[in-house]
Amino acid sequence: MSERGLLNPRREVRTVVLVQASQLRPARRERPGFLWAAPAAVFFTIFGIVPIAVVLYLSFTTWNGLGTPEWTGTTNWRALPEDTDALHSIWVTAKLTIFCWLIQTPLSLLLGVWAAGPQRNRAILSTLFFLPLLLSTAAIALTWLSLLDPNFGLAASLGSYVGVPDGNFLGDDSRALYAVAAVISWQFVPFHTLLYQAAARQIPVAMYEVAEMDGARTMRQFISITLPQLRNTIIASSVLVVVGSLTYFESILLLTNGGPGTATRVLPLHMYVKGFVGFDMGYASVLAVLLVAVGTALSVLIVRSTGYHRMNSDREGM
Amino acid sequence: MTIYTAARHRAAEPRPRVTATRTRPPGRGTAGRRRPVNAAAGIAASVWLVIVAVPLYYIALTSLRTSDSYLTDGALTPPSGLTLENYRQVVDLGFDTFIFNSTIVTVITMVLVLLMALPAAYAIVFGGTRAVRATFNTFLLGLAIPAQAVIIPIYLLITRLHLYDSLTAIILPTAAFSLPMAIVVLTSTLRDIPRELFDAMTVDGAGTVELFRRLVLPLSRPGLVSVGIFSGLNAWNGFIFPLVLTQSEARRVIPLGLWNFQSRFGTDVPGLLAAVVLSTVPVLALYLFGRRQLLRSLSAGYGR
Amino acid sequence: MRPRARLFHTGVSLLVTASLVLAGGCGTAGPGASRDRIQVWALQDPQNEPVIRAGLGEFNSGSPVRAELVTYVNDAYKQKLHVSMGSPNAPDVFFNWGGGNLAEFVTANQVVDLSHALAARPDVRDAFLPSVLAVGRISNGQYGLPMNGIQPVVLFYHKGVFAKAGLAPPKTWSDLLSLVDAFKERKVTPIALPGSQGWTELMYLEYLLDRIGGPDRFSAIAAQRSGAWRDPAVLRALQMCQELAERGAFGTNFASINYDNTGASKLFATGKAAMFLMGSWEYTSQLSNNPDFVKRGDLGWTTFPTVDGGLGDQANVVGNPANYFSVAASSPHVRDATTLLIDTLSSDAYVRDLVNSGQVPAVAGVEAKLAGTPNAEFATFTYEMVAKAPSFTQSWDQALSPTVGTEMLTNLQKLFLSDISPEEFVEAMEKAS
Repeated sequence: MSERGLLNPRREVRTVVLVQASQLRPARRERPGFLWAAPAAVFFTIFGIVPIAVVLYLSFTTWNGLGTPEWTGTTNWRALPEDTDALHSIWVTAKLTIFCWLIQTPLSLLLGVWAAGPQRNRAILSTLFFLPLLLSTAAIALTWLSLLDPNFGLAASLGSYVGVPDGNFLGDDSRALYAVAAVISWQFVPFHTLLYQAAARQIPVAMYEVAEMDGARTMRQFISITLPQLRNTIIASSVLVVVGSLTYFESILLLTNGGPGTATRVLPLHMYVKGFVGFDMGYASVLAVLLVAVGTALSVLIVRSTGYHRMNSDREGM
Repeated sequence: MTIYTAARHRAAEPRPRVTATRTRPPGRGTAGRRRPVNAAAGIAASVWLVIVAVPLYYIALTSLRTSDSYLTDGALTPPSGLTLENYRQVVDLGFDTFIFNSTIVTVITMVLVLLMALPAAYAIVFGGTRAVRATFNTFLLGLAIPAQAVIIPIYLLITRLHLYDSLTAIILPTAAFSLPMAIVVLTSTLRDIPRELFDAMTVDGAGTVELFRRLVLPLSRPGLVSVGIFSGLNAWNGFIFPLVLTQSEARRVIPLGLWNFQSRFGTDVPGLLAAVVLSTVPVLALYLFGRRQLLRSLSAGYGR
Repeated sequence: MRPRARLFHTGVSLLVTASLVLAGGCGTAGPGASRDRIQVWALQDPQNEPVIRAGLGEFNSGSPVRAELVTYVNDAYKQKLHVSMGSPNAPDVFFNWGGGNLAEFVTANQVVDLSHALAARPDVRDAFLPSVLAVGRISNGQYGLPMNGIQPVVLFYHKGVFAKAGLAPPKTWSDLLSLVDAFKERKVTPIALPGSQGWTELMYLEYLLDRIGGPDRFSAIAAQRSGAWRDPAVLRALQMCQELAERGAFGTNFASINYDNTGASKLFATGKAAMFLMGSWEYTSQLSNNPDFVKRGDLGWTTFPTVDGGLGDQANVVGNPANYFSVAASSPHVRDATTLLIDTLSSDAYVRDLVNSGQVPAVAGVEAKLAGTPNAEFATFTYEMVAKAPSFTQSWDQALSPTVGTEMLTNLQKLFLSDISPEEFVEAMEKAS
């Protein structure tokens, strides 16, 4: 006999007949229909989907932004496998995505959990942690560019402690990507922390108390209670990090311009350079379509493989 | 009895495995309850404090430097001469217009995004028709579209709509591009609403609209806050749409206003950072002011 | 709904409505209103803007149609211009770099040929320095007129550092190499190089190719003749660049140094680097950022060293001849805009303003005017350098089409970092052209 289905505890009626809430459902069950989603769907179609369809069309043309596009069929697409820089940029993007996820997720998670706690100075510190989110990308890139100046910045003074005596971070083929990942993480950890903080505060305290009575220590509580309860948030946040890495390049443009050489030229930056610096719009459109395809595939993959799309609650069965 | 007390009561019910039962009087707040303090989290917070504070200190300090001090002294050493000249320069430039424009753009964008995204998330999580599922996948696709990729088609569209060089021209694409993220976050928040609450209200005869008003709206506050913050900040700091879709000085927003400190041959870094600080002040003030609201929203839940 | 919530919702609705009205209302004051003015687009430049504004003011006082100036920052400007040209929001007069940059617009038939207007005013045509005017010439039409000062590339050196080491600035390439070794020993970076941006490295390649093979080698490349990149002079120039980098002339961390945040200028001004190859604007930049450095006379300048056995005239110059104003073909004010340019850009008032702003106009016979200015020494040096130069090669990244130029800069960065060999560079560029 399940205790579900009855919300009014004052009613001591034993549920012999009515058991599961699902079986209580009246035959005509009203569910929100497409009309609720229509405004968002229509708006986004106009400003998001239609433009990307135009970009798809442009990928079959040659155009330098002036005059009219000239239809050239699959020329641009056939140039893609030959473009070593594009293939290299895919690899760079993959590396950057992995670094960003590895840095941002554990850090945001821990910080979010911490911020959801009861510590007294939490308020002031949370405000401070929130500040990077308020700054524009240009400001952040400029700041870090100066801090990482190999002769006059922090990189110069502290470089030797991390094994880089000449302070050469952004200009080194192997180190530049780590530096860029670090700056991007600095910028976006506050946002993900906010997500985890909001979610962590939703976790019923009762669960922890019960566990404590069972004798579980903090670490065990974290692993068995906190993490599973945050599952949906971890997935949502991860989707944003992964797909974000595929489309976000403003910081990289300002910090290294894809350099040194092409060491930090991620795919969206390659697309930008081809389209807005080199003005080869047709080929840049190919790269854009590729980006959208890969990004969508990844997010759908994450969503499906974790069962996110089934829209279950982390709190089923309570 | 309201949803809150019902839920709170249920959460307080002991799990079957436990032998000793603890009863909780319903209706109590969280005062006096302790969450476990995580040592690892505490360490992360301390380390992060340093990592965050240093660049912020650099920004504040540099904005107060004279330009020769900027060039001769090291990055973090306290300067020989502090000056407010940079700030005066920024104010003289008519920064108030930029702040005004940015405020309008940000507020409307936030409102538009929230107005459209929450009902859509509601339909996605609690609906489930094919059209709705397709919408969710469309937004996943939208998440992967870089703004720069579609800027030219959008420019052509805006020009055709005769909206060029208006604040509306900035607002519409910015809002559209914040929708995918908003949907992802809100679906996450909404799906954590226990299905039983939804079912129970339906049993009581509630229709979809009433469910939305009484169940979803109050319980999605944490998600709404996160979405509001992020889309608001996107609008406040957004650069590419204002650049391409506006032109005159009267329509300039803050990121474009920062240009005044960048010339072809170099950047007036102290001046630029003073402008950055000034442009952060309104948002920061709002945050400090609304912090209590924010915290209350974040802890508004159904599980305690 | 609870009363508080209701109030909140009402408040939000009001705010939204009000803002929409404001935003919508603001939208009508768009290009329609300014279509009856001549829109002049230029780069944001505190040095230049007052000069342009004064010039426009002069024009406006005598013209029924008024001209107004709109400015943008560098990268943003190029994007903005590209997106707007050919659309209803295009400017009437626009700033550009001449050469390949302007050629793109000419090919799309979006620029007005000023040849006729110039033929009617030979005094204006002859006022400009021929080598500079030539860069505004695309396929036999004059499409742009110089609107600011000449910007050749100059080799700056720190007099104090040189004096302390008892050394003299280089005259030949081998001089330069021994200076590099000497400064390295003294733990001074021989040459400052903001290597995170490719165009700064380009200057070395430009000068070296000119010194080795003369200006025709690059003309062939710019004309997109097949095999132009494979010229042995090009290979030699590339090898010398890589040699210089590998010799440690730029230090080990040059790829992290940025020009825009004055990282390299600071390195040079503080004496941590002995030399700096940069455009002549660096003088003005140092003057405003490090006035003491300049005032105490530590800033020295000279021409790029010669190469033994090189075919190029050692008086040849590379850099930005100037920037140009062009008239957009889609403009409703073509005649007035043309008059604006013809009348203003070589007028005495405009030239005088340019000189006073610290620039060196691309106009013949200004030596006397320059002699009276505070920075006469440097201004006169720059002017004579350009006036006497048999040829003035435009910066390659402006002379070539943007597609090729971008490819070139990326590959050049890799070359300086020894990631690719000179041969690979040549092959990559042949393919890209």
